[in-house]
Amino acid sequence: MNEELNIETLNPREDKRGAAEVNRLLRASGLEMEADIQVFVVARDRKKIVGCAGLADGVVKCVAIAKERRGSSLAVKLMDEVQRLAMKRGQSHLFLYTKPDRAPLFEGCGFHQIVEVPGHACLMENTPVGIRDYCESLRAFRQQGQRIGCVVLNANPFTLGHLDLVRRALRECDWLHVFVVAEDASTIRYADRLDMVRAGLAGMDRLTVHGGSKYLISKATFPSYFIKDSHEVETCGTAIDLLIFRRYIAPALGITHRFVGSEPFCLVTRKYNEDMFEWLESASMEAAPIHVVEIPRLEVEGRAVSASEVRRLLAKDDFAAMTALTPATTLSRLRAIYAFRTLLQAGHRAA
Amino acid sequence: MKITKEAMCGTLESNDLLVKVLPFGGLQVSIYSEVMRQFGARIREVVGETLKQMGVTQGKIVVEDKGALDCAIRARVEAAVLRGAECEDLDWRAL
Repeated sequence: MNEELNIETLNPREDKRGAAEVNRLLRASGLEMEADIQVFVVARDRKKIVGCAGLADGVVKCVAIAKERRGSSLAVKLMDEVQRLAMKRGQSHLFLYTKPDRAPLFEGCGFHQIVEVPGHACLMENTPVGIRDYCESLRAFRQQGQRIGCVVLNANPFTLGHLDLVRRALRECDWLHVFVVAEDASTIRYADRLDMVRAGLAGMDRLTVHGGSKYLISKATFPSYFIKDSHEVETCGTAIDLLIFRRYIAPALGITHRFVGSEPFCLVTRKYNEDMFEWLESASMEAAPIHVVEIPRLEVEGRAVSASEVRRLLAKDDFAAMTALTPATTLSRLRAIYAFRTLLQAGHRAA
Repeated sequence: MKITKEAMCGTLESNDLLVKVLPFGGLQVSIYSEVMRQFGARIREVVGETLKQMGVTQGKIVVEDKGALDCAIRARVEAAVLRGAECEDLDWRAL
């Protein structure tokens, strides 16, 4: 065979010439270079790049193969190398978005479909047992009852608003599953947020607090939630996450109701709430519909309690004003976390 | 022998297989193959024997087969387990 195929890695930030060549290949395939890609795996035939696949925090993106090389097993070679490279970087669990008609190509490369938004996109993962084993682990927490509720919180930080939402949801169901978003992309670390939720809800009956997962509001299932400055929230952005909930998470725990606080401030969260009615309740699909119950936000002195307001106060070290918006359990934890920072600043002021 | 860290071995090219191993409380073996109907039972047998010979008692073993021969299956499973088990005092004669 008259070819010399090499599979190599390429850092688009350092190798500008290589990045430009990858960009040309992507454009020829109707794709765009994405800014968050940390590394590309490229296939070179002598000097020319004939295939590429990008990796961005556990999500495989921008996979393209030159027209004349399609139909060979180049995609398999590229994706094998992506998996090896990702594992070296500590990311063994990979996700991938593609158009539904391209899914079979990736199935041949070790990716397995999780859900599909018909005609738009599907989400795949590089293991046949990922979502299956996750559901299996959830099933251990199943509870008896007619109405099994669920609330998903980011709790950044846990406020009186969250506490009120949980209390009201509990009144309407036999058991409540509370999930805390696991992605570490918020002001307050996941471990601290989970701790605040557990402390704030300690002693309440008929309730389980769960840690989050990659399958529930993560960078993989809901990328736009964590890039809130992108005002454009595409349909697929929320649909994938909600369909995973309806098809896998809800059936595993027997969830019949999803409770959500009304969202007066954040556009992305508001869109997510609206889409919940569509994808969990209305959309016709095999998985049973989940009832969505929107609960009005708790108001204090005529203003809806919001975690972002608490974060503003936190930035100003205004712990006194925070007492009206957060439970004591949250406040004491915030004090502990930020005590060191305050000490430092006090030192600066004194100096 | 326990799987203590995630590891993999192999490829998804034709006539090969990809084996991934992960830490896990018990021993869980999942096998997927393009020729599952024809050779699924045999693949399961080879994977099971290899794990038994190596004395693997804990780990999640995921095999994705693309029509590999028995010897390839055995070799890939052995290599993946050795990478994931971080064992130093291996009895090579037993393999």
